[in-house]
Amino acid sequence: MSPLWLDLVLTVIVILAICLLSAVRLGLIIRLFAFQSLVMAAIPLMLGGGFGVHNAVIAAGTILIKAILIPAILFWAIRHVSIRRDAPAVFGISTSLLLGGVLVGLSFLFSSALVPADKPFSDLLIPSAFATLFIGFLLLVSRKKAITQVVGYLVMENGIFLFALLLLETTPLLVELGIFLDIFVGVFIMGIVINHIQSEFDHMDTSQLTTLKG
Amino acid sequence: MVTFILGLPLIAGGVVFALPKNRLRNVVLIGVSLVHLLAVASFWISPPMGILNGFLALDPLGLIILSIESVLFFAVSLYVPAYVADEPGRSNRVFNGCILLLLFSVTLVTLSQHLGLFWVAIEATTLMSAPLINFHRRARALEATWKYLMIGSVGIALALLGTFFMALSAAGIKSLVLSDVLSQASSLSVPWLKLGVIFLVVGYGTKMGLVPMHSWKPDAYGEAPGPVGALLAGGLTNCAFLAFLRVSQICHQAHQTEFLSPILLMFGMLSIALAAFCMLGQVYLNRLLAYSSIEHMGILILGLGLGGAGFYGSLFHAVNNSFSKGLIFLVAGNIYQKYRSQRLSDIHGVVKVYPFTGGLLVAAMLAVTGIPPFGTFFSEWMILSAALDGRHYGLAFCYLLFLSVVFIAFISAILKMARGAPDEALVARTHKDSWTTILPPMALAGLTLLLGIYVPSFLDQALKNSSALLGG
Amino acid sequence: MVARLAVCLLLAPFLLGIIGKTKAFFAGRVGRPYLQVYYDVFKLLQKGSVYSRTTTWIFRAAPLVSLAAVLASALLIPFGGWAAPVSFWGDALLFAAFFGLARFFMMLAALDTGSSFEGMGASREAAFSCVSEIVLFLNFATLVILSKSFSLSQMIGERSWPSWTAMGPSLILVVLSTFIVLLVENSRIPVDDPATHLELTMIHEVMALDHSGPDLAFIIYAGAVKLFVLGAFLVAILVPYQSHHRSIDAVVFLSGMGLLAVAIGVVESGMARLRLDRVFAFIIGSFVLALFGLIVALARVL
Repeated sequence: MSPLWLDLVLTVIVILAICLLSAVRLGLIIRLFAFQSLVMAAIPLMLGGGFGVHNAVIAAGTILIKAILIPAILFWAIRHVSIRRDAPAVFGISTSLLLGGVLVGLSFLFSSALVPADKPFSDLLIPSAFATLFIGFLLLVSRKKAITQVVGYLVMENGIFLFALLLLETTPLLVELGIFLDIFVGVFIMGIVINHIQSEFDHMDTSQLTTLKG
Repeated sequence: MVTFILGLPLIAGGVVFALPKNRLRNVVLIGVSLVHLLAVASFWISPPMGILNGFLALDPLGLIILSIESVLFFAVSLYVPAYVADEPGRSNRVFNGCILLLLFSVTLVTLSQHLGLFWVAIEATTLMSAPLINFHRRARALEATWKYLMIGSVGIALALLGTFFMALSAAGIKSLVLSDVLSQASSLSVPWLKLGVIFLVVGYGTKMGLVPMHSWKPDAYGEAPGPVGALLAGGLTNCAFLAFLRVSQICHQAHQTEFLSPILLMFGMLSIALAAFCMLGQVYLNRLLAYSSIEHMGILILGLGLGGAGFYGSLFHAVNNSFSKGLIFLVAGNIYQKYRSQRLSDIHGVVKVYPFTGGLLVAAMLAVTGIPPFGTFFSEWMILSAALDGRHYGLAFCYLLFLSVVFIAFISAILKMARGAPDEALVARTHKDSWTTILPPMALAGLTLLLGIYVPSFLDQALKNSSALLGG
Repeated sequence: MVARLAVCLLLAPFLLGIIGKTKAFFAGRVGRPYLQVYYDVFKLLQKGSVYSRTTTWIFRAAPLVSLAAVLASALLIPFGGWAAPVSFWGDALLFAAFFGLARFFMMLAALDTGSSFEGMGASREAAFSCVSEIVLFLNFATLVILSKSFSLSQMIGERSWPSWTAMGPSLILVVLSTFIVLLVENSRIPVDDPATHLELTMIHEVMALDHSGPDLAFIIYAGAVKLFVLGAFLVAILVPYQSHHRSIDAVVFLSGMGLLAVAIGVVESGMARLRLDRVFAFIIGSFVLALFGLIVALARVL
């Protein structure tokens, strides 16, 4: 596949991450993540191996788990939430977006210093992986609702997954499947805990979980 | 044999979710951990064969950690039925099931020879232990579980990134199986290796509870029930420590120990220092124990960073620490059962009312702070002498200073609990010690005492072999 | 060449007609005729103007100045495979300057009336254009890096398919952020609702509120030409087709413009106007996208 499509896909992934920074409605946040995972599932098929079994399984696993099952769990966890809105970060949407831009710049800076042994499929792969990772982390620490924090963690995992694509031949399928399983079970448990938090506290605002101190 | 020891807890965990009665589930739990212990004991006599192309195999480091885990799980499994029965009508389905699945994950961690599989197993331990923290179903427990999950997951995600950087560094070797990486360590790309080591240290350090990634520990240990605390403090920390051991192995083979040692020394010292000062004036018993755990993790990492005799000391300390932490958390569980409170100011007169628990409490206090003849004293001493051997005089001085602070804080807190006159209302509330809640901690205390007096030769040999692997 | 330019500019209001028909289609209406803007302009040219006694010569001059500035900027854009009538090194800056001049005089005229609504519109327009001009300049910078020349004719005129393959990600980001700038400059939803009649919600409309007769005709026509010019900018990047056959190029170009108008109509129908502070965040979002495009271009070239 020509590198143009791979570059465009990677750009779209980072654009979606930036859009996540500006999203405020919970439903939109979960859907943006699902769409980002869907776009990401196309990447294993665009790399050298084409439609080999290994790549196809990973692509199918990404779609099934990250684009279908995990959003389903997240929507189930917030089914009782009546106000489907998350307050944006303490410093506001504009500052979040600007910070996101700075992080994208930083990730390009880092990647210029790191050169892997064999040339990666696209020179945008490492910067966009770092950018998605950083933006996911920013989403995790700057938002207050538990669901947005989980989505931030999942976007971080998406960024790490992009790194994994660099190593597609060497990572055995067993380990990839193990990683998928871990993430799925992790989100499952997080969903259950969020459910408990929602029923116990009647809100999902983690900034108010402050009784444990010292 | 490897398949058996992995498959047994996994299948048993699944079965427990399906069984109808509490008693049956308890039987499965105790039975499985006993069989697990016997199997691990047999590994000392005849090591098992690796399976899956060397992905799963037992090396000396793994064997030591696996044995510690097995003993600890068996002791806890004997303790759990009485603890759960204390809350009438409480179903132990999720509790027992998660403990068995946790045993499976921990076994997988010790057996994984592939760095990627290793990561999968450690993430599994975090996930399987999270539901256990929420046992008491309190709002605070929920908050603690959430923080544990979130901080743990982020840390583990960073560790995954570190694993990928390691794989990039090993691009020439095209395999992440430990033996392959170690044998061809000279062909590792150093910049990627260094980056990978940093992320692995931060990620697995979060799992271990090193400062400054420790903020989840006081909350999680503070809210978890006693047996769960024993498993977390004695079991899971060893899994994270095994990660550090593997990183240390790789760095040693790749001649990067000068890069790794200062990092380890810094994290170790920071953890000991912060834990020591946070223990002063602590209000809650379990949080006090959490900070003690942070301090001991710092000691482990310090020993690892010092090298030489520090390797043996560190590994020996891992053994001692697990047993003494298991002991004190089980005793804390006993105390919670009787006093229904974790505040230090509410608990006094333990020795008077419950002689066995009180005696074990004092023994635990001595074991955790490292008083001879308990084994912890000797392992901490070994690390101190490693520091002096390496001419790290400032380090040794700080080490002694912080350990004395810990000693003061801990002893004063525990003695206040043990001595004194109990409340009348408490004496009236008859909650006698049963043998299932006394025997496991007593056994653990006995083990720690034994290790201090006499180290069995098979253990000594294993420790020497393992420190040779690390470069000692 | 100027004659062809004149013919194209006469087609500019047709774009507004296409946008209107697209919005009507989504709303299930028949909508205004395609040539409605022509009828409006013609009708207004025949009327007389009413000037308030509080206004000065600025109010009378502003529509003329803004029309002249926008027409002058049209001279700098290459479109339809034709080179721009005027091009020199750095003409991109002049292009942005013309837009700025037009906007400046419109804002002055709005303040000149002394009415609070117009003042409010002027201040909003100033605030949004602060950021959107930076975005425009960032995009120019990216194009300069990609084409290694500072003249609009080279930056967007000689685009070809291979350049897309090499610089695809940057160009996509330039296109996206320029599209958002287009929405801002031409006061489209989600930045401003051109169909609103509530002065409190207006941004651009309110600045034209007090103009009448030929002045209003000039303002409407200038708005259409602005849309055409920025649209030509976008289409030249998006459609890098150069067949060197004048008629084929012209057809491709005009259909590209038509599709762009439909796209604007779709965007307008799909979204609601954002709350004013969200509009600001929206424009900052386009700033981040432009910044991203610039960084990718720098990374590729350096």
